[in-house]
Amino acid sequence: MDFTLLIISTLLFLGGFIFTAVKLLAGTYHPGYTNLFLIGLGFLVQCSFLYLRGQLHGRCPITDGAEMLVFIAWSLAIMYFALGRAFRLSLVGAFTAPILAILHLFALILTVRNPAIARPIEKMDHWLEMHAAMSLLAYGAFALAAISGAMYLIQNRQLKSGHPGFLSFNLPPIRYLADALIQLLAIGLLLLTIGVIAAFFMKKAPTALHLGLLGGVWFVYTAILAFHLVNRPSAKWLSLSSLIAFGFSLITLCAI
Amino acid sequence: MPIFCLGVNHKTAPVEIRERLAFSEKHLPESLHAILKVEGVTETVILSTCNRVEIYGAADLPSSAMNSLTAFLVDHFDVKGHPIDFYHYDSERAAHHLFEVSSGLDSMVLGETEIFGQVKKAYASAHQAGTTGKRMNKLFQQSFLIGKLVRSNSKIQHGSTSIGSVAVDLAEKIFGNLNGCQVMIIGAGEMSRITAQSLVSRGASGIIVSNRSFDKAEELAAILKGKALRFDDWENSLSQVDILISSTSAPHPIIKTDAIRKIMKHRRGRDLLLIDIAVPRDIEDDIRKIDNAFLYNIDQLTTIAEEGKNRREEQIIFCRNLILDYLAAKGIGAIQDPSNPSSHNFTPHNGTSPITDP
Repeated sequence: MDFTLLIISTLLFLGGFIFTAVKLLAGTYHPGYTNLFLIGLGFLVQCSFLYLRGQLHGRCPITDGAEMLVFIAWSLAIMYFALGRAFRLSLVGAFTAPILAILHLFALILTVRNPAIARPIEKMDHWLEMHAAMSLLAYGAFALAAISGAMYLIQNRQLKSGHPGFLSFNLPPIRYLADALIQLLAIGLLLLTIGVIAAFFMKKAPTALHLGLLGGVWFVYTAILAFHLVNRPSAKWLSLSSLIAFGFSLITLCAI
Repeated sequence: MPIFCLGVNHKTAPVEIRERLAFSEKHLPESLHAILKVEGVTETVILSTCNRVEIYGAADLPSSAMNSLTAFLVDHFDVKGHPIDFYHYDSERAAHHLFEVSSGLDSMVLGETEIFGQVKKAYASAHQAGTTGKRMNKLFQQSFLIGKLVRSNSKIQHGSTSIGSVAVDLAEKIFGNLNGCQVMIIGAGEMSRITAQSLVSRGASGIIVSNRSFDKAEELAAILKGKALRFDDWENSLSQVDILISSTSAPHPIIKTDAIRKIMKHRRGRDLLLIDIAVPRDIEDDIRKIDNAFLYNIDQLTTIAEEGKNRREEQIIFCRNLILDYLAAKGIGAIQDPSNPSSHNFTPHNGTSPITDP
């Protein structure tokens, strides 16, 4: 059942992306609610998947690679609904949908290779739950920051070309994208800091590798924001940094 | 449908005629009641803008009412000696004309949105003056619905069609809201004024005008409610500016890449839009390579405006079909159907070609 739910939510996210992409390519895109509806529906199905896995393990469903990817996708969707919409960034959904679909596709592959088995724990550790949940929510914020960064780079390129096209017409103003990017990085860093602090209170201490990689991610994002506060680099630099940092975060996640 | 439309617009009358026929907003209620006294007219709405003066009305015998109304207008505005080519539309043709007007299809700048507000205001004034009735109410309500339908289902509003509007669109794609954006004009030419006025109309403020002749700079600054700056000082003030418009007659670039690069370092990541409408160009082209600096020259602005115009023109047929489909669905269509007796009324009396249904 959980596998079917995973397939359905993947298809819904994919549907949202294809719908917007086709409309954009045909030059008939109008801001509307179809994409939001498809992502929303996909999110509900995704929640059902995580609920079933939570029931299976009797705890927060972050026990294997597939669940971790779905949880990151869930965090990204949450961030999209909570912040992406609040920033009123047109097309952010169109950019979010393919990332959600890709994360789910990888989760599907991992589930096929390693079907889910119950991994209950003897004694609940709330600090561990807090550490995992906050860290993955932070990843959701960083993913949305990377999406804003990618949108910024596309809009920047379009406007720099001297001949902005239909995509530029539908993308948000670059100043809004830059502002959203900074705020998402700050929110992500705050969540990750809480996650890192929680790690120090866990009953079973995390491995040195785990702590080292998590600290590495925390350091990278802190360095980006500190550099921004001190030197005010261009938003292009910030966008590129957010993309690279998110790529690095995903790699560390695989290692963890 | 005993309704009619009589008027002139930018296509049928030059500005000298249109300005003589314009109804003053202050005296609009009196004018509406005066028209209502014209023989046969039972309801009326006056649409008087810079590009058109149109009188919509209801009458049991539209042709006869329009003849009386023409005589009234010639007398009222004292234009006996001027040959005025009023268009006379009645029945569905009048309705269709209003639908095209409120959709922006009959505007000088195709698809512009201002006309929709002007039609609404004209109707509201007439309604308040008590010169509308069942027919005008229905007609105008329908025109608002169709205006919205056309705009939201077509691309008639997409893209900019003039240098000024292209500059505004680009500025909004960079800064979002233009409120509080600082604008500097170098060279007090006509194009600079038009472009700056477009930006000011969308909220830009803090206009600084710099020109070799300081008197001219002061003159333009007064028009734009900004301040004049001596030509030697413009570079020092550039770090505060968001949008720079340059149109001097200098024979070589006056805004150099190195100078902008230096200024950008002090701007702490703030974007700068540079609009070069001078020929020969005032701004070095390499500036576009600097992060956060966006440079557009006259050719690029013109190309974007031309593309916008072409795109809008391509949409006319689609928009007209939208209107026809709507009317057909509502049961008052078949405008071009020869079997429909009402279609004989569609050829305008002034001989302009009727709308073609592709």
